[in-house]
Parts: sequence; structure tokens; C-alpha cells
Amino acid sequence: MASTLAADETAPAQASSGRRSIARLLPSRSPKLVVGLIIAGVIILWGIVGPLVVGDPHAISTNAFAPPGPAHWLGTTQTGEDVWTQVAYGTRGSLIIGFTVGILATVLSAFFGVLGAYLGGALDEGFALITNVALVIPGIPLVIVIGNYVPTNQRGLLLIALVLAITSWAGSARVLRAVTLSIRSRDYVAASRVSGEKTWRILVVEILPNLIPVMASQFVFAIIFAILGEAGLSFLGLGASNTFTLGTILFQAYNDLALTQGAWWWFVPPGLVIALFGAALSLINFSIDEIINPKLRNQTRSARKAWGLTDEQIRLLEKEDIK
Amino acid sequence: MSSHSTRRRLGVVMIAAAAAAALALSGCSSNSGSGKSSGSSSVTIFNGQVGNFTENFNPLNPTGAYLQPTNGVIYEPLFYYNKARAEKPVPLLGTSYSWNDDGTQLTVKVRQGVKWSNGSAETADDVVFSLNLISNNAALNTTGVGWVAKKTTDDTVVITFPTTAFTLEPQVLGNEPIVPESVWKSISDPTKVTNDKPVGTGPYELKSFTPQSFVLKKNPNYWGTGSSAPKVDEIRYVSLANADAATSALEAGQVDYMGAFLPTLKSIIAKHKNLSYTNSPQATTSLFTCENVDLGCTGPQTDPAVRQALYYAMDRTQLDRQAAAGFSSPASPTLLLNTVNKSQIIDPKNLEVPQRADVSRAKRILEADGWKLGSNGYYSKDGQELDLSINVVSGWTDYDTICQLLQGQFKAAGIKLAVNQMAQNAWSQAETTGKFQLSMNSINMGVSSNPYYQYNNYLSSLATAKVGDSATTNTSRYSNSIVDAAIKTLATTNDPSTQEAAYKTIQDQIVKDMPYIPVYVNSALAEYNNTRATGWPTQDNQYAFPLPWGGNWGVGIVLKTIRPVSK
Amino acid sequence: MMRFYLQKIVFYVVALWAAVTLNFLIPRLMPGNPVDVMIAKMGAAGQPVTPGTRHALEVELGGSGGSLLHQYGAYIVNLMHGNLGISLTDYPEKVTTVIGQALPWTIALVGLATIISFILGVGLGMLAGWKRGSWLDNLIPVTTMFQAVPYFWLALILVLVLTRVVPLFPYAGGYDVASTTPGLSLGFIGSAIYHGFLPALTIVISSIGGWMLGMRNMMVSTLSEDYIVTAEAKGLNPRRVRMTYAARNAVLPSLSGFAISLGFVVAGSIVTEQVFSYPGIGQLLFTAVSNDDYALMQGVFLVISLSVLAANLVVDVLYGLIDPRTRARS
Repeated sequence: MASTLAADETAPAQASSGRRSIARLLPSRSPKLVVGLIIAGVIILWGIVGPLVVGDPHAISTNAFAPPGPAHWLGTTQTGEDVWTQVAYGTRGSLIIGFTVGILATVLSAFFGVLGAYLGGALDEGFALITNVALVIPGIPLVIVIGNYVPTNQRGLLLIALVLAITSWAGSARVLRAVTLSIRSRDYVAASRVSGEKTWRILVVEILPNLIPVMASQFVFAIIFAILGEAGLSFLGLGASNTFTLGTILFQAYNDLALTQGAWWWFVPPGLVIALFGAALSLINFSIDEIINPKLRNQTRSARKAWGLTDEQIRLLEKEDIK
Repeated sequence: MSSHSTRRRLGVVMIAAAAAAALALSGCSSNSGSGKSSGSSSVTIFNGQVGNFTENFNPLNPTGAYLQPTNGVIYEPLFYYNKARAEKPVPLLGTSYSWNDDGTQLTVKVRQGVKWSNGSAETADDVVFSLNLISNNAALNTTGVGWVAKKTTDDTVVITFPTTAFTLEPQVLGNEPIVPESVWKSISDPTKVTNDKPVGTGPYELKSFTPQSFVLKKNPNYWGTGSSAPKVDEIRYVSLANADAATSALEAGQVDYMGAFLPTLKSIIAKHKNLSYTNSPQATTSLFTCENVDLGCTGPQTDPAVRQALYYAMDRTQLDRQAAAGFSSPASPTLLLNTVNKSQIIDPKNLEVPQRADVSRAKRILEADGWKLGSNGYYSKDGQELDLSINVVSGWTDYDTICQLLQGQFKAAGIKLAVNQMAQNAWSQAETTGKFQLSMNSINMGVSSNPYYQYNNYLSSLATAKVGDSATTNTSRYSNSIVDAAIKTLATTNDPSTQEAAYKTIQDQIVKDMPYIPVYVNSALAEYNNTRATGWPTQDNQYAFPLPWGGNWGVGIVLKTIRPVSK
Repeated sequence: MMRFYLQKIVFYVVALWAAVTLNFLIPRLMPGNPVDVMIAKMGAAGQPVTPGTRHALEVELGGSGGSLLHQYGAYIVNLMHGNLGISLTDYPEKVTTVIGQALPWTIALVGLATIISFILGVGLGMLAGWKRGSWLDNLIPVTTMFQAVPYFWLALILVLVLTRVVPLFPYAGGYDVASTTPGLSLGFIGSAIYHGFLPALTIVISSIGGWMLGMRNMMVSTLSEDYIVTAEAKGLNPRRVRMTYAARNAVLPSLSGFAISLGFVVAGSIVTEQVFSYPGIGQLLFTAVSNDDYALMQGVFLVISLSVLAANLVVDVLYGLIDPRTRARS
């Protein structure tokens, strides 16, 4: 980690003059990160503040399928509810699910994937077995089973999040295990073992940093996949009940044939929020990778151009980079 | 493997796929222009099947998994009971019938000269065999009563019941298929066969089958002549995706006959002059309440005043417009249809439920019962808030919408409503075992439009159970000895004035007790394309119940009535 | 070497047993019973339902009877005979028949789309990682965004645009039922490809970004390994460095993910098949779950479990071949 940080400080400053002032405040020079953070930040802020400033999402009216206008910024639903209001509540619901699942799934996959693979032996076999069994549990029926042991009025966001986490960590764990197996047989790991370093220290100092790009990307994708997974479950009619998530809004809109009846304003916005948030997280993910993993951080052609180098110099640099 | 070759290979695949698509596209467009080949007439039916058809033409299948045309189109009963309008049963394999005075013997005259689709003769022996086969098999006999059928002359069959059995008439005569003895006598368990080569007496017989579509052709041996003989050569059944796909297919002229709720139907009909539709509302959408404290129900809805308040707090005009796209019709608080059953609704003020919300009346009812309006806008009584929950199947769109709207409408009357959207199996279990407060469901008609069936199913103490046990059909747990006695009277009489008195007794009780709170009579839309065939049912002439659903014998009548349009 | 494969075999047998046991238990933990569901379904379809109907159905369908342990024994024995029981939804059809009808559609559509997406995605991701900062590399955020779009949302909008606004494709179904019959005819295959094109396109669009990004990142990491530098320094052909040295190592995690997604072709097809009403196994599972059709559910679960385990087994074996380090540990 120390070397990573040092490399950061010595790296040339970001050049794009228009974004320099914003970029300076942030730990990286990447415009991708800035854009990603702004979009994600706005959506998260909206998820927190939105529900406080809009009205009652259940408020019905006889003004059904009204197109967007000054009274209803995003139009109304079949029951005359305000779509803008519902999207505000839905964003909050989806974010809660996304972050809960992201954290749970990452912790679970790191525990089962890394620890087992490093320690090896019976523990590894056991963990790998658990991972593989978890992989073959059919998720959707499991949701129904769990859902029905919980009273309907308590079948909220957190339960869906828990179920999604339980059914989504195993894939990541398998990947982590494969990478760990590969890393632990490298010379430098063997060397530190021979030199008598403690197990936890090898794990944390030698192995974990190499796993971080994979894990960071897994965490970000766990969030996206949780939000998408919730939307998918809702689409099948198995989502959280009595709360708004972007998925439940989409489910309602689809079921009430919003698209067929021309009410695109009910169906398009919730999906767009998910898409924007997902894209923002991906952008952040690119930059996280570059910050923590120097290998990913070789400058791009466009960045070098902006430094004012000649084409000849760029070509030279590219040769050094091994393209 | 190099990335270049990978990419090149994929490029080839993509081009091939695109070419195939273009090929299919052009092939398709040239096909649809010319229509069906070889000058034979054909109509296509969508009966609501999603996914693959599983070959099953066993009319005795107790789970209803037989394909739609089995009952009515391939096999026929003795008589047809039309639920869409009040009329005498239509003779099919029987020609007339009569009861003895105490209702224990039913004498049926059997049509002569009928042949099975394989050419052999259908006789009174087949009728006797079929009826006794059902009576003797507990898995087939849904009446719980055993009868004995006997041939007395070549054209007469006498059915003897152990007790008075007037009410079994539509089941025995109108809902039991007559099957050939020569085929079925050698089948050891008739419930367990798929009968993929059906031999029936109906107007059509099976021609070919694939899991995605199957074709019927005219039965050359059909007994009917003239207007009651089938005139269209082939009937094709297809499976489609959902309402969206059905809409597309209907508009594109790919389907001639289907029964699907299409919220945009009115604008579709306006755009396409060759399309028509009928609406045959039948099922009364209602809030089922778990109302009986003695059998273990809990919650505010066990208070009749609360149920009355809910009844008046509904704005049914809004529900019709926003949940049923304006296709529903007004319900009656007697739970009967004020169309076919109009003469059986005794008190004229019970013909129709109020269409507009009467919030002040709802509040008066609650206040007279001791409920007090709290500062939060909701009523409460003895520290208990008027807080109800309703179960609804997630994805049953119209019901979901009703619940959302009711949430807002009840709030105006100081009643809090929570909506539990749940999976169908959980919803159905909650209702049968009584673990619910309110449940969105519908009151369905029995085998015929005789009110006895509805009242016996939904109100009889014999059809219910205490909370925790499965109630057979009376899931509200309603139990009222006056109503029970009247139902018993209905079961044992054929006398119109006695029946009328019993109807009045029952109706007075349930309008007061309101175990099921009616919302509206749900639409049942069937759509037709008049380009290839005409003579479909119309709104004013529903000569048979028109929905092409499984178990509707009327489809056979519709299909032999329509005639091809000559080109 | 032998010990490695032996270990794997034992492992898969245990995993299979666990999966089969779970398949047995999960449906039995579910609420409701088939008779209730059947009655609700018949009522909704306008068929007359009387108290007698319930009795008749109970007689016919009965309880499976016996203790849980007894049922479990019978289940395992039946399984070994390839007997998956009788479907309630399509009573009295055999579960194997029902699944057999649906499976080819799913494998053809979702399976092919997954493979196309993987090959295309990994290939493009490798190039993007190799040529950092190229247009291809800059395309990755865009493809990733498609992956972050709810699948059914994208699919439904595409459907609206490509079947209604610009009617290029048919809305749903496996093939044109009116003019073709299944078989090895050109007309049928053309029709099936034509009908499968749009669903396949949506699957590829929404899943390709993940493969690209994963491969690109691993490629970039791998490219700065010492052995790559050494290979470069020795003046090896760049293509050889890229394919044999870098890509071969970078593809490992993707391959593992590919096995998992191949195994989940069957389970993952539920949403796709709901959107397009494709007559495959996802729709079957959904029907089975909503009808409390235990036997059919178990049959579909079994297919899912077997396919996941088989895919993992294949990749484990491949891993052993591609990456000798995996099998050469303690």
C-alpha cells in the first residue's frame, strides 16, 4: 500500500484545464471519477433528501395517466399517483438494498474465498463445498420460502437484501479463491513464508493488496447487481412488499401495461435512475482500480496528449508501457 | 486461438443470423399476405395459454389440465347450460328430461343417430357408462353424492339419486362429458391418462398437435345438421405471451377468437372495423372478510358496522374507471348478478351497490357503533385503531389497482388500510385457512346461473371451517343458522314460491351481515375478428358463454355456429 | 495428478448430494398446498368449484404420505431410476416429458447468447486491456452502463421499439406457429432464429460489458507482471506475448465466471422468458413455483443443479490444464 500511495504523489497532475479546480479536491486526476462521483452523489443525496421534500407517494387521484407537466413533473400512474414522488421513495429503497447487499456479499465472499484458499487443506475443501452448494441453491424459490416465513407486513427491504446477499456471494468467492490460489504459489509469498512472517501478515500485506482490484470491482458490482436483482425479483412479483423501490415501481408500471398504453413516463424514469447510478459506480470503479493498483494506472494516450507531448514522445512512452 | 480469428468467426455468425432473419422476414411477409392456403376455411383461437401446450384431451381429468377444446368442442354433455343469459338448457346428446316429484329420479331422453368421431354409433349405453363411471370414482365425482344410471329403453336413461337432488341437475346433465364405453372401459384409472387420440361426439376432432399449437378439423360424423353443423374447416389453437402479445396478434389479424382483458380494447375496436367484442361479466369482485369471531377470526372487520362502513366508503365509479378500464358492471349486495339473476333478487333496492362513495354515511355507521375519530384522522374504539390489512395477489393487476385506490378512499372515511401484495400460493393459503382480515377475491357462479350454487358455496356453514383449518369454499367463515336453513330448503324444492321466500331470507341476512363486500362485477371480454368467419356472439346475442377458457362447454356451440366468410 | 482429480470427484459427489437434498427440502418448506392452488386457479378460470371439488381433488392428488424421511428415501430411489414424478400443472404428464419439451428452447437461446456474449466480451476486453486508451478502451464505460440497466427494462423498451414502432421482429414465442411446424426444415429453423434474435440480442447487450471489463482489468494487471516484461525484453513477437503470456493468465477469473454463468443459463432464463414468453424452462419454473407443483419444481431444480455442477466440473478440469499452479499445491 505504501508504494501505491507514493506513486500517487509523484504522478503528474491531471491536465484537462477545465476540470482542474474540481479534480484538485479529489484523490485522483481522472475525469471518470469526477463524473462518476457527481452522478452517484446526486442520486444518493436525492435518495436521502428526496423522500423528505416530496409528498405522500400513495396519494391517489382521478387524474390517471397524466403526462409530465407542471403539476406532475413525471406524470401520474394508473391510479393517479405522482411518479416523481414515487421515484424519490424508490431511489431510497433501492439504495438501501444495494449498499446492504454490497457490504454483506463482499464480506462473505472474502471470508469464504480468500481465507480458505490461503490456508488450504480441509478448511479450503469445506469452504469450497459451502461455496459450491450456495451456488446451486435456486435463489427465487428460496426467496419465496423465506418470504413466507416472515409476516407479509415485515417483508421489507432488509429481508430482500439479506436474501440477495445470501444468494449472490458465492460467485465472487469462487473467483477470489481462484486468484488467491494463483497468488499464494508465487515466489514472493513463498519467500515471506520461509522468512517466518506470520500468516495474517502474509494474508494482509502480501496477498490482499493483489486482490483489491478484484474485490473493489466485486463490491461495486455487488451493489449494482443487488439493485438489478431486486428489480428482477420485483418484475417476477417477488419483491419487497409495501415499500417503494425502483423495482416495485417498474413492476407496477409493467403490470398496468404502462408502455402499451403510452405512459412511458411511468416506466422509463425508474430504469434510467438505475442505469445512471450503475454507470456512475462503474466510472468510480475504473478510478478506484487505478488508485489502488498501479498496474492499471499507466497513462492513456489522451492524457499524454494533454501534457503537450509530441507524437514521437507519446510513441516512446507507449513502448515503455508495453502498450 | 487468436482474437482475430475469433472476431472473424463471430462476424460470420452474426451475418448468417442476420441473413436468416431477413429470409424469415421476407418469407413471413409474403405468407401473411396470402393467408391460409388451399381454399379451406380456418380460424385461430388464443385461449389464454402461455408457454407450451401439454397434450391432454382427457375430459375426465380432475385437475382441469385438459386442453380447452376437450370439453364442448371434442366431447359433449347431455345439455348445455348457458350462464350468459337466463334460458332453458340447450339439448345436445340428450333431447329432453324430467324429474319425479321428490327429486330422486331424473329421466333423460337420449338423442338417436349420433356417431362417435371414429364412426361407431353412440348409444344410451355410452351415456349410462359415462355417468356411472363418474359416480363410482371418488376423484371424478365432485358432487359427493352417488347416483345410479340405468337404460330403460333404447332412448331413455333413468338416473336415481339417494336423496332429493334437484340441485345436481346442471352438474349431471350439463357438466359431465359423455365418453365412448368401447374406449374407456379398458382404462383402469381414467384420471391418469392423457387421451391423446380423443374420440368424441363434438363438432370437431383433433387433427395434429405440437406443443406450441394444435389443429382441430370438422368431425365428419357430427350429428347436427344445418345451422347446428360445423361450417369452418379447421380450428387452430395457439399460445401467446401475455396481453401485449395478444393485442398485437389481434390487431395483426393473426387471431380470430380470444378472451383477454385488454385495457385499450375500445381504441383497438375503433381502429379496426373488422373486430368486435363481447363482455359477459360474471364474477363479483369482492372484499372477502374473515368475519366470524366464534370460528377464530380477529381484527376490526369482525364488526359488522366496520364492514358496512367499508361498503359505503368505496367510490366504485373510480374503481371501475381506473382498475377495470370502464368494463365492469355494477354488482348487487345479494352477490347475485343483476342481469341473469335479476328475477331472483327479491328486494328491488338490493339490485345495485352504491356507485359513489358516501363518506358521511360510512362515518355515521362507525360513530353509531362507538368508534371515535382520533386526531390522526383514523377511528378507534377501546384503544384499538381502525387499521385493516388486505391480501392481494401480486401481479393480478386490476385487483392490485383496486387495493391501491381503496387505500386512499378508505383514508377519507377514517379507515386505515394496509395492502399485502403476495404470491398466489401464499394468498390462497391465507384465505383458505382464515389467516387474513380482508382478501381480494371474487364470487364465482356455480355450474349454472341457479343462485343456490353461489349461496351454498359461499355462505353455508358446511362449507367452512374454523381458523387454522382449510375451509372448502366459504372462506369468510360466515355461519348463520337462518341462512343455512334457507339453503337447505333450496336444495330440496323445485317450487318457485318456496325458492323465492328462501332467496329473500338469505338476501336480507347477507345484506345486513356483509361477509363479502361487493366491489363490481368483473368484465369478461372476448374478442373476435370477422374477416375470416362471422356469426360470433354479440353483446346482445350471447347464444353461448363466449370466453374460450378451459371447461367452458359453450365454445363448442360458438364454433359450430360461426360460418366462413366467402372470399 | 491422480490425487487432484480424485479429490475433485469426491467433492462433486458430496456437492451433488447436498444439492439434491436441498431440492427435496425447499419445496416442502413452501407454503400452500396444490389442492388450494388448483381450486383458486379453476375459480379464476370460471370453472365451477364446489365443496365436492376439493374432496375430489384431495382423493386424486392425495398426500405423498409417510414421514419426511420416508418421502426422502422414495425421492432418492425414484431419482436413481430417472423418475421425476408427475406434474400437477399438466396432470398427469410426466415431469421428464414437460422438461424435455422446454429445455431445448432455453439451451438454444440463452446458452448460445451467453457463449456469444462471453467470447465477444473477453476478446474485446483483451484488446482493450492491450491497447489502453484506444477507442475500444473508452467504449468500456458505455458497455458497462448497458450492464447496469435492468435487463427486463432494456428488453421491454427494445421490444416496444423494434416490434411496435419499427416492426422488424415478432413480439414473442419460439417460432411462427401459423406457417411452420417444428422439424429440421429450413422454414422452421429460419423462423426459430428470427424469433430468437431479439431475445438473444438483449442478452448479449446486457451481459457483454461485464466480460469486457473483467477481462480488460485482468489483462492490464497481468501485462505489468515481471514475466511479461521479460518476454517483451527478450523481443518476443507481441502477438505471442499478448496471447500466450498475458491473455492466458488474465482469462482465468473470467473463465471461472463463465462456468457459473453457463450453469445459470437455465435458472437465469426466467426473466428473459417472461419478457418474451419464450417456451423454455424459466417459464416452466415460474409456473411450477406459482402452482405449488413440487414434482415439476424439483425436476427443474435438478436440471439447474446438475448444469451448474457440470459446468463447474468442466472448468475445474480446464483450470488444471491451463494453470498448472492450481493442481500443484500442497
